[in-house]
Amino acid sequence: MRSALRRIIAVTHKEFIHIRRDPRMLASVLVMPVIQLLLFSYAISFDVTDVPTVILDQDRTTASREYLASFEHSDFFRVVDHIESDVEADRAFDTSSAKVAVIIRPGFADSIAEGNKADVAVLIDGSEPNSAQLGRAYAVALSSTEDRQILVSWAESQGLDVTSMGSLSPQIRTWYNPDRRSADFLIPGLMVVIIMIVTIQQTAVSLVKERDQGTFEQLTVSPIRRAELMVGKVLPWLILAFIETAVIVAVGVLFFGVPLRGSVLALALGSVLFVFSSLAIGLLISARSSSVEVANMAGLLISFLPGFMLSGFAFALESIPPALQFISYLFPGRYMVVIARSVFLKGADVATVLPQLAALLVYAVVSLTLASLAYSRRL
Amino acid sequence: MNLRRIGLLMWKEVLQLSRDKMMLPLIFLMPVMQLIMFGYVVGADVTNLRTVIVDQDHTTMSREMTDAFSSSGYFRIVDTLDSEDDIRSIMDAGDAMVAVLLPPGMESDLAAGEKVPLEIVVDGSDSKTASVASGYAAQVVASFEFERLTALGAVPDGPGIDARVRVLFNPSLRSVNAMIPGLVAMILMLSVSAIMSQAVVRERERGTLEQLFVTPIGRAEYVIGKVVPYVGIAIVQTLSVMIVGVLWFKVPFFGSAWIMALGLLLFLFTGIGQGLIISMVSNTRHQAQQTNMFILIPTMVLSGFIFPIESMPAAIVPLTYLIPMRYILVIARSNAMKGAGMSALWPQFVAMAVFAVVVFGFGISRFRKQLAD
Repeated sequence: MRSALRRIIAVTHKEFIHIRRDPRMLASVLVMPVIQLLLFSYAISFDVTDVPTVILDQDRTTASREYLASFEHSDFFRVVDHIESDVEADRAFDTSSAKVAVIIRPGFADSIAEGNKADVAVLIDGSEPNSAQLGRAYAVALSSTEDRQILVSWAESQGLDVTSMGSLSPQIRTWYNPDRRSADFLIPGLMVVIIMIVTIQQTAVSLVKERDQGTFEQLTVSPIRRAELMVGKVLPWLILAFIETAVIVAVGVLFFGVPLRGSVLALALGSVLFVFSSLAIGLLISARSSSVEVANMAGLLISFLPGFMLSGFAFALESIPPALQFISYLFPGRYMVVIARSVFLKGADVATVLPQLAALLVYAVVSLTLASLAYSRRL
Repeated sequence: MNLRRIGLLMWKEVLQLSRDKMMLPLIFLMPVMQLIMFGYVVGADVTNLRTVIVDQDHTTMSREMTDAFSSSGYFRIVDTLDSEDDIRSIMDAGDAMVAVLLPPGMESDLAAGEKVPLEIVVDGSDSKTASVASGYAAQVVASFEFERLTALGAVPDGPGIDARVRVLFNPSLRSVNAMIPGLVAMILMLSVSAIMSQAVVRERERGTLEQLFVTPIGRAEYVIGKVVPYVGIAIVQTLSVMIVGVLWFKVPFFGSAWIMALGLLLFLFTGIGQGLIISMVSNTRHQAQQTNMFILIPTMVLSGFIFPIESMPAAIVPLTYLIPMRYILVIARSNAMKGAGMSALWPQFVAMAVFAVVVFGFGISRFRKQLAD
């Protein structure tokens, strides 16, 4: 047993020497997560604001200006230009310099004065469906508020009372993240995704590289056993992954002010199980790949596509087809994103996230077993 | 320059690719997986939000309101409760993302002419879903209220505004229609940059590069022989993504194939240049892979591929102009969805051309120089 430990340490030492000899790799392992953290936290916002809008006012009356002021004052629309003709609106859409055009024809004020509904056309560029959808909702809401105001003041001048019918109004409260800060939402999930991308990609090449460079035969004639080789090779990445987790949590909490409300124990337990699961996926890829290129591409593909996309990190999993729902349960990211977000934002303790922890435990045990089977068969 | 030698080099590359039993399937699995992921996951429009209704009113109106939510298509009612005590634990566990509270006396208070607030709780830990959910919820309540007032005859026939909101270019607001044209560019970039750099670095890593240069093969012949097979693969991948996009995802294409092809061609040269630069600065295939990842993530985030540029903070926006993908995305989307032509897209084409000349030119000149050393 003592000698087994010594052999494992020897392999680990060898791996650390490899890592040290390749400072670029170490940098990419340590620097890339920080860059990702900054990029995602600063660049991404799910709140759509400042949608470029052009205004075509052919009526030029107080009434039309009052209506258009509601667009200019909203956070959602940003009026970039007052245009003179329909051709300019087409042009703005073609060059994507505006996404919304509000058009008021002559006779807007006259219609209202005559007691009729005045027409307004709002054109929205649908080529960015998300903001278009919200744009439509905001345009309708702004217009109906204006509509209601005009109607109420008219009714008052006619001596009618339209406010006695009661009113029902939605009051929306956002729990856990009241300001809907994207950083609060993204960083807990980002922690999961970064660790997965790094560990899967690094361990994916571990075995196949030895074989490719011919150093593999040397290892087989040494007294080292298969399990020892695997543990020794994985250990450095395990350590690096834990350091990385701690760094991301620290940067998130101290620098970005993400609240850590729940039990640190639950987060730590989840992270350990999750790191083991990701390592096992990397080992499986390594054991099954025919060449370094294949290991690299497969690592990229698996960590990036199902790992990243199906983790629920940025894209809601509610609306995806059942077959993909099923696949998402085959990758550990899905469970860990729930744990991280619940612990950070909802103040969850071990009991709350027990189902996810149990799932990760099963996942880690099964995937590590499969990986060691594949590893020893490969040797 | 000898065409036969270039042909032989290309043949060698194809042989090497086909000898690796897993590489070729992987190369063709990649666009398929990306199509599925981007088409179905990123392109998914938010529907079926898990919702609990707390009905403390138990009246016809509260039941109608419940129906209004469930028939809207955005909310899926997972539970109807009698008290608000359990909401916290349900939301904590993530079993529901939205809770609608119908207060006691809702119907009678409204009949008495009072203002009734309808509380809607959304889970802000998923800020994207939260903003969509609150928008939809407000819409459901507003149209419910409008129908109620109309039925009461409380909307007098007076002046007002009739806003006609029309969505142009993508009236069904399907996300996939915007996703697939962008994906075409993404896959093109990945193939020439990520796959080709692996092949070039392998040659150096194994020392077979020296062997090649004791043969009569010239530097230029080597570069062409190395690049062309991967360009071929990239073109096949791109075409298959386009075909699947049009036939399977039913993405409409209103533009000109020539504009699209020209844009992609310029982007292809940028990609080749990037691949060559990456292979120059990498000593091992693993390093090449890491460098590709290093470029891939900012490209995805800052190009507007997934997240719209206008929502980014003003300080970040200048950075996006440094990402070549930004321009091809505008070209691909505007051309496919709006049928925009050269007169509208020329600034993007100029930027693409500059990138193509600079990146490709730099890549090829340094690469040849490095081979010569």
